Order: sequence, then C-alpha cells, then structure tokens
Amino acid sequence: MLEIIGLKKSYGDNEILKGIDFKVDKGEVIAVIGPSGSGKTTLLRCISFLSNSDEGIMRLDDYECDMKSATKSEVSHLRENMGFVFQSFNLFRNMTVIKNVMEGLITARKMDKKEAKEIALEMLEKVGMLEKKDSYPDELSGGQSQRVAIARAVALNPRVILFDEPTSALDPELTGEVLDVMKKLADEGTTMVVVTHEMGFARDVASRVVFMADGYIVEEGPAKEVIDNPREERTRQFLSR
Amino acid sequence: MSDRVFEIVTSSFMKLLIPGITVTIPLTILSFLLSLVLGLLLAVSQTANIKGLKQFSVFYIWIFRGTPLIVQLFIIFHGLPTIGIYIEAFWAAIIAFGLNLAAYNAEAIRAAILAIPEGQLEAAYMIGLSYPIAMIRIVLPQAFQIAFPSLFNNLISLLKDTSLASSITVVEMFAVVQQITGRTYEYFALYLEVAFIYLIFSTLLTFLQSYLEKKFVWKSDATKEEKRGRRRAMLG
Ligand SMILES: Nc1ncnc2c1ncn2[C@@H]1O[C@H](COP(=O)(O)OP(=O)(O)O)[C@@H](O)[C@H]1O
Ligand SMILES: [Mg+2]
Repeated sequence: MLEIIGLKKSYGDNEILKGIDFKVDKGEVIAVIGPSGSGKTTLLRCISFLSNSDEGIMRLDDYECDMKSATKSEVSHLRENMGFVFQSFNLFRNMTVIKNVMEGLITARKMDKKEAKEIALEMLEKVGMLEKKDSYPDELSGGQSQRVAIARAVALNPRVILFDEPTSALDPELTGEVLDVMKKLADEGTTMVVVTHEMGFARDVASRVVFMADGYIVEEGPAKEVIDNPREERTRQFLSR
Repeated sequence: MSDRVFEIVTSSFMKLLIPGITVTIPLTILSFLLSLVLGLLLAVSQTANIKGLKQFSVFYIWIFRGTPLIVQLFIIFHGLPTIGIYIEAFWAAIIAFGLNLAAYNAEAIRAAILAIPEGQLEAAYMIGLSYPIAMIRIVLPQAFQIAFPSLFNNLISLLKDTSLASSITVVEMFAVVQQITGRTYEYFALYLEVAFIYLIFSTLLTFLQSYLEKKFVWKSDATKEEKRGRRRAMLG
C-alpha cells in the first residue's frame, strides 16, 4: 500500500538516513526499533513530510511522488492518508478534548458539525476518554493526552497511522493504558507504523519488526523471529542491552 | 485648600471627565484597534517568512520604535499637508498612535508566536490544515494568550500617551485642562486633578486586564469552579 524507496536525508554533513526502503501493507503493524539517534524519528518525519528528504520515492498504491520535490498538493494528498501520533502528544492547547478530535473533520474535511461530533464521540469512547471530552489538554495526564491524540488521528480514518515513541514521554505506570488502546486498534485491523522501545508490544502486537541502526534498516522480518532470534549481530547487541 | 481652589477643582471635574470619556477614550480604543491589526500583520509577516514582507516589517519596526512619538505625530499632522495630504487632527492622532504602537504590538505578538511549540503546527498539518489555517485556528489564539499582558501594557501606555494629541489641537482631556489653567492659573491643583482622572482610567483598565486574564485560560468550567471553591475555602 505505502512504499518508500531509497530515502536519504542529511542534516548538514550528517547523513541520518542512508537509503531506506520501506513498505507497509494494509492491516500491518510495523514496529520500528533501534538505538537512540539511529534515525527512527527522522524516518517518520520524512514519510509525513514534516521534514524534507534529500532523495526518495513514495508510492501510495498507484500514486507516486518524488519525496524531495513533492509539491504542496502532493503533500496534502499524501497526508490525507496518514495520521501521526507524536511523542509529546501535541494536543491543541486552546481546544477541548472533543474539539481537538473534531478539528480535522470540520476544518480540513469540511464535515458538518453534527456528524463530526458523532465521530469524535465514538473515537473518544474507543480510547476511553469520553468522560473528559470537555476538558482542556492542560487538565489531562500524559496517558490521557496520548489517548486523545490517538483519537484525533483515528477520527480522520487515515490508511496508515505513524506513531513516534507514543509512550516514551509517559510515566511507566501510564504506558499500559496507551499500549492497550494501540493493541485494540491493531486488533481492528488499523495499519500502523510504530517507533517504540516497548519490546513486549513490538513482539506481541506487531506483525513485522524493522530494526534500524546508523541510518540503515539492518534487519526486518516477522516480529517474533526478529526479536527472539535476530540474525544480525547488530540486532542481537541491541536486543541484549 | 482655599475656597477658590476647591471651587475650581470641583467645577472642573466634569469639564475634564467629559472630554476624557468622549475624546481620550475613543482615541485610545480606535488607535489601539489599528495598532493591533497592524501589529498582527507585521508579526505574521515576520514569522511566516514571506520574502520582502519580512524585511518591510523589520524596517517598519526600526523606524517607528526609533523615532519619538511626538515627532511622528507632527509629521502626520503638520508635515503631510505640505505634500497635499490633509488629515483632521483627531484622525491624524489615531493614525500616528496606531502606527507607532503597531511596532510594539508586533514585537509582543512575534515573541508570543515564537513561544508556541513547533509541534502545535506539525500536529495541525497532520490533520490536514494548511499553514494559514493552522495559524488562525491553533497558533494565533495561543500566541494571543501569551501576548495578552504585554498588549495590555501597551494599551495602558497608549491611554496616557493620547495626551500628546493636545499638541496637534485635539481637544482631549489634557488640552482641556490646559485651557482651564490658562484661565485660572491653578496649575498645581488642576494638573493633579487630571492626573487623578488618568489614574482612574488606567486603574479600570488594570481591573479589566485581570478579569480578562482569568477568563482567558484554557481550563474547563469544572476546574475553574473548583479553583474558586478552594480559594473561598482558604479565605475561610
Ligand atoms: N533538526 C535536526 N537538526 C540536526 N540534526 C538532527 C535534527 N533532528 C535529528 N537530528 C539528528 O539526527 C539523528 C537521528 O535523530 P532521530 O531521527 O531523532 O533518531 P531516533 O528517533 O532514532 O532517536 C540524531 O543524531 C540527531 O542528532
Ligand atoms: Mg526519536
């Protein structure tokens, strides 16, 4: 469904992504793992065009675009098919929980208020945040914020949702509630790419694991295989920390 | 205080208050609205990094912050007529105050925009908002909250600075007190009196500021109510 070919990205002289080929099929849950600084966030940011790429082709079904020179309209078309869940939530501070979830539907998708509200309520129910629908982001815990952020992404019904370490800004006792929501989405068949350090989640929920190091994809394969029996020395090292 | 002075001060109170309310305050409000709109445009043209506009904005702020307000006022009222542009004193004052304060408001708004985390904009992009829409819906409301105290400070300064309009024949409160002192020679008492009226106005503005600041926080009504309850409980 979504495919990246030959993605390269440097910051100054520092080459972060050195040629990444990456593919997501419908219904897949891909866990991206790897040491800190290996370029995982950069990968997601390039895929979502939050950072520009130096080289690379993106294919979404039959639609193809050069990532380096993507136009505004190409970017907005591709982004319509993607959701993004940030490490730091990035809920809109000036809007209540429900307004956060409705914003994309109303302002970007021009849906009428009533319909948007119904969808938002359904999404908040799904992530267990219905009770807090009229709260503002400043009044939520990290776990609650992240669940709302997930609802905000899911509400737009994107074909793939990118998660950048969704639980690493959370207190340990709050990671469970977010991972549970993500597991539920996975069970419903949501296509997800999840950068994570939660090996338990990667092993049990992901269908495929991608191990990144030093700007390359070093190893990838079925989740349990890669995590339980890594083929590459570099992967073994990382997993045995 | 002698009976004469007392008599002059009391009889002048309404004579001062009325131009205060009918001239000083409209002058303040209209100038401020102009400065707010212009300041916002100047700030956004800098943060949006629009070529040309950004340089213009920097240049504008350099000029208007770097020269005295009264000189700007004179250029607009006395200077422009020599090139055939005549503006009535009241409007000349509004234009001068508005243009001048816009430079200061622009700086306050620009700093506030820069204080909004990049992630707010990125999250907006990822739900399909374009840059201008994301600014209007997400960034500017938050920036406005941050800039609010500075903007209000500027408003209070403006209220006092409108007294400069007397120097270009606008009959506002300070011009009126000068007329009265001209007749009565009671400088000390009358200037104290007008200072007192300015103080009342700016005090009211300060109350308005703290009232608005309290309203203008992004907390649900339940939380606000709880906070109020706690404060009441603390006061006993
Ligand atoms: N905006 C940036 N400017 C310069 N260097 C950056 C920037 N963002 C990330 N980097 C560098 O890119 C490398 C990879 O970062 P990142 O993608 O965040 O890694 P990861 O998410 O795997 O921890 C790091 O060395 C980081 O310092
Ligand atoms: Mg990262």
